[in-house]
Amino acid sequence: MALGLDLDYLERSARGEFDLGWLRNGHSEWGVHAKPSKTGLTMRDIAIGSYGEVPDHAPRRTMAPRGSDVDPDVPDLGYTINDKAEVWSDNLLDLYEEAVSRQWSATRDIPWGDLPELDPDIEHAMCQLATVLSEVEMVAADFPAKWLWRINHDFVEAKMFLCTQVMDEARHTEVFRKRALANGGGLGRSSAVVERFLQLILDAESYDEGSALMHLLGEGIVLSLFRAGEFLSPSPVEKKIFRLCMQDEARHVAYGTMHLRYRLDRDPSIAEDFHAYLDKGEEIIAMIFATPEIVEPTAILAAGGVEQASELGTAAGEVMRHQIIGEYLKRCQHAGLDRRGRLHLPEVLIQGVPGAMPEAMA
Amino acid sequence: MAPIASPFHSARWFAELVARASADQSAMERLGIAEIRLGLEIVDANGPPHMYGIVLDGYDIESLGEVMEKEFAPEVVVSGPADAWQEMISSIEANGSADAAHTLNSLTITGLPFSVRAGDAMGHDKFFRYMGTLQAIFDAAGTPATVSTGR
Repeated sequence: MALGLDLDYLERSARGEFDLGWLRNGHSEWGVHAKPSKTGLTMRDIAIGSYGEVPDHAPRRTMAPRGSDVDPDVPDLGYTINDKAEVWSDNLLDLYEEAVSRQWSATRDIPWGDLPELDPDIEHAMCQLATVLSEVEMVAADFPAKWLWRINHDFVEAKMFLCTQVMDEARHTEVFRKRALANGGGLGRSSAVVERFLQLILDAESYDEGSALMHLLGEGIVLSLFRAGEFLSPSPVEKKIFRLCMQDEARHVAYGTMHLRYRLDRDPSIAEDFHAYLDKGEEIIAMIFATPEIVEPTAILAAGGVEQASELGTAAGEVMRHQIIGEYLKRCQHAGLDRRGRLHLPEVLIQGVPGAMPEAMA
Repeated sequence: MAPIASPFHSARWFAELVARASADQSAMERLGIAEIRLGLEIVDANGPPHMYGIVLDGYDIESLGEVMEKEFAPEVVVSGPADAWQEMISSIEANGSADAAHTLNSLTITGLPFSVRAGDAMGHDKFFRYMGTLQAIFDAAGTPATVSTGR
């Protein structure tokens, strides 16, 4: 469509003859007064009247703010995600507010000057863990960024939340890169297995597939890693890093879990699709559990050194693995996707995890 | 730094803890909003367990004193033996904030000495979503009239 400059209007307006169609013929809800709640004017506070009604299917593909009067000549912007259920979750508005409110700075809020000199093996282990985390965290920014421009603007709250996730993950990448470079160790090794899991997320053919792999599976595991990191931290500096990252990651997992629940509530017939996505993801996760660059630094940090790692670290690793798998199963169950008894993880990894073995479903 | 005057554990102890944590409103606002009903269960060696309720609502923290779990309906409960709670509090009082072995995450991650239980995965994960705020509240036991931002 040619834009076409309205020369007549330019001449009329120069003479003071305004159109005023936007003023006289608008359909806005005149008199709408969103009231701030106790923390300020929240997204939930402004979800009022017709403005709070999010259509199940977007009627047009534009950036027009939902609830505005839309010029009939607006171009089609080509969004491919036009159904609410593809991105929505019932906790979305609150998670967005929480994300904005709980931002922190990797530059200002971490007491970098307090990092103590560490035993070289511990420093190397910490830096290897920081390397892996700096690597994997950015995929949780790349994935939403890849899909954001395809999501219809009528679901702007979902887009806004994903924007907060992009910022969170940038900060996580930053803070772990800074940790690796701040205390003498430097960056460690990047492994092919980890990259393959990241590739699986980035190459996902749908938002459904990528969100299940990333928000539910990948970030759930990273959340457990952050918890373990806080526990195993060699100094209060790392403890603070992991605690702050843990909060952000739990928010992303809360979105992923509740989004899947929303999706399946509205179309239970697609449950098998999600099972198939997670089957693929779990196969790679199994390999990650056998990746030295992830398993060994954690074991060394848990044991307090290389010498003790084979005994103490292995036991700690088993506790952590059980926790990761157990929590993942509970999140899937809460989302309405029962993975008990059908995990694509080898028996050696799931023995002892309640509900994980196939006989649990018998 | 003076420890909380009321005996641990008691409704007055938790009320004083929350009052200390709430004293620096700007610090709580920097930590960010939180929404959680948290039950803190203290299991005495002899006798029934005691649960104390804390509610985080936006930037507000409220101590509900001793509660019945069924009526309080917590989203998540942190439970542990009284001597482990006392050890955590003593550590915070001695150091001004939790040391490495006595953070809430460290004490709960393996299920010992504290366990975390929730009705569903979302409640469970809220414990992690607000970990910085919850730690700051307990760290207030070592920091009279003000609270670290935990940042």
